[in-house]
Amino acid sequence: MKLILLKDTDGKKEEAVFQEKILAEMKKENVQGKWQVVRVADMGIYNKGVAVKILPEGFTYTGLSLDDIPALVRTSIKEGRELGEKSYGLKDKQVKIVLRNCGRIDPENIESYLESGGYQGLKKVLLELKPEQAIEELKESGLRGRGGGGFPVWMKWQFARKPESAEKFIICNGDEGDPGAYMDRSVLEGDPHSVLEGMLTAGYLVGANKGYFYIRAEYPLAITRVQNAVEQARAYGLLGENILGSGFSFEVDIRLGAGAFVCGEETALIASVEGKRGYPSPRPPYPSVKGLWGKPTVINNVETLANIPVVFSRGGKWFSSIGSPTAKGTKVFALTGKIKNSGLVEVPMGITLREIIYDIGGGMLNSYDIKAVQTGGPSGGVISREYLDTPVDYENLQKLGSIMGSGGMIVIDESDCMVDLAKFYMNFCVDESCGKCAPCRIGTTQMLEYLDSVSKGKAREDDLPRLKKVAMAVKKASLCGLGQTSPNPVLSTLRYFEEEYLEHIREGKCRAGKCKDLLQYSILQDQCRKCGLCYRNCPVNAITGNNKQGYIIEREKCIKCGNCFDVCKFEAISRG
Amino acid sequence: MAKLTRSKLEEYGKKAPAKAGRALVRVGMSTCGIAAGAEEVYEALKGAVAQRNLDVDVRKCGCNGKCYAEPLVEVVSGGLPAVLYGKVDKRLALDIIDKHVINGELLNDHIYGIDEGKGE
Repeated sequence: MKLILLKDTDGKKEEAVFQEKILAEMKKENVQGKWQVVRVADMGIYNKGVAVKILPEGFTYTGLSLDDIPALVRTSIKEGRELGEKSYGLKDKQVKIVLRNCGRIDPENIESYLESGGYQGLKKVLLELKPEQAIEELKESGLRGRGGGGFPVWMKWQFARKPESAEKFIICNGDEGDPGAYMDRSVLEGDPHSVLEGMLTAGYLVGANKGYFYIRAEYPLAITRVQNAVEQARAYGLLGENILGSGFSFEVDIRLGAGAFVCGEETALIASVEGKRGYPSPRPPYPSVKGLWGKPTVINNVETLANIPVVFSRGGKWFSSIGSPTAKGTKVFALTGKIKNSGLVEVPMGITLREIIYDIGGGMLNSYDIKAVQTGGPSGGVISREYLDTPVDYENLQKLGSIMGSGGMIVIDESDCMVDLAKFYMNFCVDESCGKCAPCRIGTTQMLEYLDSVSKGKAREDDLPRLKKVAMAVKKASLCGLGQTSPNPVLSTLRYFEEEYLEHIREGKCRAGKCKDLLQYSILQDQCRKCGLCYRNCPVNAITGNNKQGYIIEREKCIKCGNCFDVCKFEAISRG
Repeated sequence: MAKLTRSKLEEYGKKAPAKAGRALVRVGMSTCGIAAGAEEVYEALKGAVAQRNLDVDVRKCGCNGKCYAEPLVEVVSGGLPAVLYGKVDKRLALDIIDKHVINGELLNDHIYGIDEGKGE
């Protein structure tokens, strides 16, 4: 069966015309055999005009006009040859390692995982490799922690492997708390066994016999599926005594996080698993030396663990062939914000932000231009659009004042205010600061106060250096990662968008129209056509008048929701 | 269930990816899919298959990442590559069964991905 797929990638909906033309042309050429001409909703190609893809040959053409169709039908469809000039060479830029099974296998059935090559990596480690060889393989793979820090996984395991201890532990960190990030949830929900296999592998190599899944309670489905996976693995003898006859025994338990962001920090997480309040403690000693119940403990993020089976089943060398010089493998990002195709993407390390946004994400959602990209959630920062061509890896993002983080990627356009954004994240940090150390507890509140006064037009210009000073102090003096990284959104927005801060302060103006206290809505009487649309859409009846005399906005009543501004078809509402 | 042994696990490893003659329909049932209405679609597909007395395997699966197009339904059948339908509702689910699964006819305007590697 030949498939001819068709899509207007500019979104002008020209497909139907082209479809008819192709069908007519095929009739004329008397094309034999079985075929279908289908209009598709998404071809993975964006803003390249009308595109046609022919399967099974895989010929792909973009920027087609109706005049191209006869030649295309004759050459590519009838004779099966590629037509040179309109050919589109780019391939799908995603590489699926972590998400290899998500959307393919049945996450509630261990058979489905086994049939797709599951537990083969574990088998290799348990029965074929010596532990030293396995660690060597992991070292060769170049796999680094995906939770944000980017610490080499083999080193962490080696540290925990060394000390003699009757008990050691493996913890899977599934306390995903960054706003807008949900990679870990998807992996736990879509492929729980791969994470379990990663934990088992870690347990064997480190010498631990007990593992804990730490999953936030807000992920009920993930918890159910992990629970189910654990029970099935136990029934299959992949958990318990003497696994696969190797003499290795391992058990896992599930612990639920009660919704504190700080519990994603490893020392606080350990306290929480121990049943204590989720307070962080100073490092060193690191958990790999002195962790859960004071015993050597490996804590790895969900995504890191989901990589492990592939490292062993396909080999460290293969794994290290993907990615950039300093970061190997792939990274899953939760692409959200003002982007057309929001969702999960898995890309090789070293890909540029531009490729992620335009070639995979399909470009901007609205007509506004891109302004920046936020990565790493409240611990990360923004990267302004000038740097969209930077290859994505741990070091590069850090140089730009952001971090890779766990994988949240929020696309920001011109309708977003950077002060407002910084304020949002600071609010989050103030809420989530555990309060144990003063720099974070007091500093984040102080930073929020400064940001709040900027957004209300009440700040002075010399407040900005003070804000920076507080930010630096919090960064240096905080006890744990939450505090140390909490100034990042402020520092990075100041770094790239200081002029927006100054505009708020000097001119009392918010160019994106987000800082409500700086806005005044009024009706431009000479533009107004008296249609009454604003009048009907005002939720608080702040607009008075009628369709003869026109309308005015009563300032005392106006809540600055912007409804009138959005609905007016004649640009007769002024905001500023 | 008997415990898995080394040799059993090796068998799984050697087995070529299943080329089931049965048509396979997968529904993305992670939180994102369910929130978008995947449960209803899953029930509709199950119901349609039972009603028409078809030999079709309707399965749940995780999220394939295209969250913007949830609920997602993927069909592998009749010698065609795997076809991923997006923004599926109950009515479209029935069309998928009647046109694609039964007649091998792809539906216009709802396809969000075609994977040749995953076909038969």
